[in-house]
Amino acid sequence: MIGDEEAPVFLALLASLGIVPDSREVLPDATLVQSLLRQDVSAFEQLYDRHSRQVYGLVLRILQQAATAEEVVQDVFLQLWRNAAAYDAERGPFVPWLLTLARNRALDNLRLKSERQRRREDQTDELPPVATVPEYEKQLDGRRRMERVRSLMGGLLPQQKRAIELAYFEGLSHSEIAEKLKQPLGTVKSWIRNGLLRLKEGLQTAS
Amino acid sequence: MTNGDQFRELIEGYSLGALDPEERASVEAHLASGCVDCGKALEEARWLVTQLAYLAPEAKPSDLLRGRLLQTVRAEARAMKSAKVSSAIPLWMWGAFAALLLFTIYTAWDTTQLNKQIAAINEQAKQEIAKRQELEEKFAIAQREAIILTDPRSVKIPMGTENKELPKMEAIWHAKLGIVVSGLNVPAPSGTHTLQLWLIPKAKDGKPIPSLTLRPDADGKFVLLVANPPDAMDTTKALAITEEPAGGSPQPTTKPIWVGAIS
Repeated sequence: MIGDEEAPVFLALLASLGIVPDSREVLPDATLVQSLLRQDVSAFEQLYDRHSRQVYGLVLRILQQAATAEEVVQDVFLQLWRNAAAYDAERGPFVPWLLTLARNRALDNLRLKSERQRRREDQTDELPPVATVPEYEKQLDGRRRMERVRSLMGGLLPQQKRAIELAYFEGLSHSEIAEKLKQPLGTVKSWIRNGLLRLKEGLQTAS
Repeated sequence: MTNGDQFRELIEGYSLGALDPEERASVEAHLASGCVDCGKALEEARWLVTQLAYLAPEAKPSDLLRGRLLQTVRAEARAMKSAKVSSAIPLWMWGAFAALLLFTIYTAWDTTQLNKQIAAINEQAKQEIAKRQELEEKFAIAQREAIILTDPRSVKIPMGTENKELPKMEAIWHAKLGIVVSGLNVPAPSGTHTLQLWLIPKAKDGKPIPSLTLRPDADGKFVLLVANPPDAMDTTKALAITEEPAGGSPQPTTKPIWVGAIS
């Protein structure tokens, strides 16, 4: 049996259930990720508690199976623990990078299951680049950003939204989407491009 | 439309991962050529695609996942610290021998004193070697547990209980490395009793095969590593845990508290 730092573990567990106030100092994500380089388990716990719902929600949306989604979430957070040096805070914020990593792992899992892995030439262990924040982007907090993105996507043409969702959540290519929706390839490309550009305009307006 | 325009129109699809292989290869080649406009457009498109993640509703994963992850992470952190500590030992030993050598050259100590010093250093060296071996063993255990918990080939065996007041347990069986059984908030057995793991064979009249025993710690944490299970997974029907006297029993003396069927 392994001994451990009992009190902080249980305080954190109770805090996550809202039973006792969380007395840990609220540090920014970038600082916590930096601490992972020193094998700081407490920093890892805080990052997990802060972001596991969003990561799991995204992976579950892609895979539609709770058990498999949990395996992928485990894989994502262990990759973070073991490769914290891959995140460069100078380039951009942590959450989009983490969610991109989660999406990539979930789609890898989906492709393996659907035997479409021949299409994935990249290394499955490759970590995504950190997305830089555009100049026009305002720092919306997580809840307001979620509401804004959902509202803007709801304002797209249904076919644009559908095509983007098929590409994002199911990892389909333009030609696979065209086949699924029984539409010309050029039409699908336009839907996706124009839909994303409208999303960009909406976020610029919000800024 | 220029060639650059054609690539520019593919940037959003590229950042989404939606291009077919040939188009993806041509865009990558174009980006590698150093097109500034497309490079800037790609940075913006990457950011845009990250925002699509907010379309998915949040969901809470199980507490067992959190427990499993933290267990692995703590095991790896300990293993790293042990490796650092054990690598420091030779420097101390060399320092001790160097000090002894200088002392014998520059002082007038007699042979008896010198022999006593050598004996003391040897004894300390033995203790350090024993400590190092102990650390290496702990490191090996931590490594084994981490691999069992995270190897996708490991089989997860949920262990339920009829007693609603007891937490569930989970066993993870790796065909080559063994079994890890874990649970949180597990109440301690009464008195000096212990919890014992059993392998229930598939054979029709097969008796439960005894395995290791363990008591949860003071905080109810239960983590049992069985590095060499007494039987193989493919001949085992289920795992069970009973409460037994200290030291365990050759056969169960009480009804199973937790049972997990192997599918």
